[in-house]
Amino acid sequence: MDKKLPVWVRAQDNYAGKVELEHDVDIPTWIVDSSVSKELLSDLYREEKFDMLLDLCGVDYPGREKRFDVVYHLYSFSTGKRLRVKVPVSEDRCEVDSVVDIWKAADWFEREAYDMFGIKFKGHPALRRILTHEGFVGHPLRKDYDPGKRWQLEEDKIYKPVFLNLPPEEDSMFERMTINIGPSHPAMHGTFRLMAVLEGEVIVDSDVEIGYLHRCFEKMAETHPWQQVVPYTDRLNYCSAFINNVAYCKTVEDMLGLELPPKAIWGRMVLMELSRIMDHCVCNGTTLVDVGALTNFWYFFEIREEIYSLLTKCFGSRLTVAGCRIGGFQHDLPPDFIDLCKHLLEIIPPLIEDIDKLVTHNRIWLDRSVGISAISGKEAINWGWTGPCLRASGVQFDLRKNEPYYWYDKVDFDIPVFYGGDVYDRYRVRMAEIKESLKIVRQLVEQGIPDGPYAVDDYHVMLPPKDMVYNQMESMIYHFKLIFEGMRVPPGERYGYLEGANGELGFYIVSDGSPNPYRIKVRPPCFPIFSTFSRLIRNQTVADAIITLGGLNIIAGELER
Amino acid sequence: MRIPDKTKPYRYSLWEKLYLPAIFSGLKVTISHFFKNIRKSPFTIEYPEKRRDYGNRYRGYHILTTRPDGSLKCVACYMCATACPAQCIHIEAAEHPDPNVEKYPVVYEIDMLRCVFCGYCVDACPENAIIMSNTYDMAYFSRKDSIAGIDDLRKPFTVSQEWLGYRPYFPEERKVDLVKMAKERGPVAA
Amino acid sequence: MVKENELTSPSWITSKLEVIEKWARSRSFWPLPFGTACCAIEYMGVVSSHYDVARFGYEVVRFSPRQSDLLIVAGTITDKMAPVLRKIYEQMPDPKWVISMGACASSGGFYRAYHVVQGIDEIIPVDVYVPGCPPSPEGLIFGILQLKELIKRGRDRYSRKAEVSDG
Ligand code: SF4
Ligand code: SF4
Ligand code: SF4
Repeated sequence: MDKKLPVWVRAQDNYAGKVELEHDVDIPTWIVDSSVSKELLSDLYREEKFDMLLDLCGVDYPGREKRFDVVYHLYSFSTGKRLRVKVPVSEDRCEVDSVVDIWKAADWFEREAYDMFGIKFKGHPALRRILTHEGFVGHPLRKDYDPGKRWQLEEDKIYKPVFLNLPPEEDSMFERMTINIGPSHPAMHGTFRLMAVLEGEVIVDSDVEIGYLHRCFEKMAETHPWQQVVPYTDRLNYCSAFINNVAYCKTVEDMLGLELPPKAIWGRMVLMELSRIMDHCVCNGTTLVDVGALTNFWYFFEIREEIYSLLTKCFGSRLTVAGCRIGGFQHDLPPDFIDLCKHLLEIIPPLIEDIDKLVTHNRIWLDRSVGISAISGKEAINWGWTGPCLRASGVQFDLRKNEPYYWYDKVDFDIPVFYGGDVYDRYRVRMAEIKESLKIVRQLVEQGIPDGPYAVDDYHVMLPPKDMVYNQMESMIYHFKLIFEGMRVPPGERYGYLEGANGELGFYIVSDGSPNPYRIKVRPPCFPIFSTFSRLIRNQTVADAIITLGGLNIIAGELER
Repeated sequence: MRIPDKTKPYRYSLWEKLYLPAIFSGLKVTISHFFKNIRKSPFTIEYPEKRRDYGNRYRGYHILTTRPDGSLKCVACYMCATACPAQCIHIEAAEHPDPNVEKYPVVYEIDMLRCVFCGYCVDACPENAIIMSNTYDMAYFSRKDSIAGIDDLRKPFTVSQEWLGYRPYFPEERKVDLVKMAKERGPVAA
Repeated sequence: MVKENELTSPSWITSKLEVIEKWARSRSFWPLPFGTACCAIEYMGVVSSHYDVARFGYEVVRFSPRQSDLLIVAGTITDKMAPVLRKIYEQMPDPKWVISMGACASSGGFYRAYHVVQGIDEIIPVDVYVPGCPPSPEGLIFGILQLKELIKRGRDRYSRKAEVSDG
């Protein structure tokens, strides 16, 4: 598939001249004419078993005849292959066929592409804005949209729910009632709005509205130089900011072909695993608070605070660490890093054990969570799930094992898998993963910090060490050039991915060789997961809906960017 | 890879069905924490009487450093303002009457409410003229007050070691001599 | 030394009552954390055991605007959220105060962007701004303590407004 199109494509007449292979790209890429895109994608689903739509996004190239690219990223669980499909469309016929009936995950992704670029998807059940508000005019990620142009939302324009899957009203004891929860509601973890039709306590249909925290990450990334995007990535999944830093930096480093020194890789792995622990702590802690188990929250936050101490000692900030730079770290790890890690390894396991004893076998928690909003592995994949939530549905898929990056093939750890697919198993997966992450950290700490530099010494990328800047004219010039002109990334594109705390965290980056990224699309793991929410809570009670939301670990910063 | 198309919910063990044992083991945990916390000092940090040790890299309020004669080290080169992702640094430069002396800033303002405390300005400065302190207690009553000028940025800190935060390098942790290393290494290749 | 008739005069009593009122108010905020983003996580840090804002009497977190008197806006406010924030502020009973926590709420931070409100003072009045991204929990506690001082001295927005209307 990498070098040549497969036989079934070449054999069919209607694909003749309409499907092309793109060369010199990171993953196999096909360019497909929009007239056959739907057909080809459904063939790919059937013939090549691409059962997951990882990501769908638009890219704007104003100078081109066909101005927009609709970019699909596909993944096949049976073969482990990845494929990128690009469908160019022109501005005046800005339309492609919707693929919602092949992959349900496409639902929200298509709405996002419509919102950001104005690309229409024919056959989509409810194509409307998703991230920006109803009073918005224009499509902000088009290159000609001014990044600072704002629109006010008038109160009469606020979205009124439409229930698409409402079953016909039968003779029931209860009168139907529509309620609205959020966007400012403690159970909605920040900024989601849920509108539900209730029959008694049971939700018969619901509509979810997001976008209350759309902070325009992607536009901001286009207006800032490469290195300055790092602090923005902190604010995506702010519960594990460091993983985002690494995901972004790693993708750009791969574009540049940089080889990181061992110390940087080692430090990144340790801190990533600790961040993963933190993320799981917040998720499980807040879920348990939603069912009233408050004590665990204090214990979980204890763990977090301890990890924060380490992060502050390394990077100087608790939450938004801005730890990495493209090319390694900005500063060396502190001299007592190993001791701090050892301290963490001592105090975290007893706390985890306490939490285990407190709730894991507690009947109240079991009764509240077992069998709630269950989803099978097959369905979850169709919705685009990855990460702990998918592993709770019985699919053993973890990028750290399946496509190892850094040194994950050199450390020994297991992937916990459970088969319930419900809130309880999502909780158990996370608890088990905390232990596995501790195992990884322990092994790395036993190895000891590798010697050597903490960043590449390519001064077209990283700032030279300060002592050299003060003392050497040449370093000074590099420093000056890097600050004022920024680093350059060779033109091209790359989809970089790693296992974030919530699942596959992908960065699709397009560079045109200028000092700023041309386009950065984040594949936020919780975006497809949250699009399933309406389906998950159908025929559940309101109280169940609330713990479902907690168990999915939806982070608004990442969901809406 | 096996992909199940059904879910298999967790089956309660007898221990869990009995309800009470797990409840009591939970109570044992909380009670033991209670006694543990009585014995040793609790986790709580009694701010403002006590301050947490955030280490010597904390990114707090900025400091403009000075030369021994009291003038600012800053040469108004605009590098920090360029590197700042929030674009919250405003500098106005003035020429020194003596052409051999470098430029100096007449206005150097940081909008503290815009600043995201990322430390990029510190990394960018070629003169070690801007560093950060570990001060986090800041609050303003209006947007106007929040613009920190030259006087604010240098006034409270006649740089004592305890106040220092994020800096270009941390001499107190230094083991290797980078200057020496740089000299040994010779000029960097283009 | 106060004369006897002054002690019983109504104005003396009300002015003393006012002092008690201010004392009580400034020591028992009922905060409503309007947490939208990363800053909300730090707010959780403020109420959890390491910082424990209960030491000051500010732990009665209420998510209903009608039961709270201190609105802590923690996180980015977007144009989509703005009407919600305005409504919540309007629903809070007087006296009410607003703390804007973090760069985003105070000024938009580094999001000079098409969907982000450039400071919540576009929408509602603010008493105390706490810089930081996110402010450390101590930073927020410091901000609340500043507000406490302000109220104790009667220099906050609410008392000043009352003075003006009294003449
Ligand atoms: S810390 Fe960051 S945001 Fe603040 S002034 Fe420096 S560069 Fe700008
Ligand atoms: S980079 Fe340093 S020397 Fe240049 S203007 Fe900023 S503070 Fe001054
Ligand atoms: S101020 Fe910083 S930490 Fe707070 S919400 Fe904004 S980006 Fe997040």
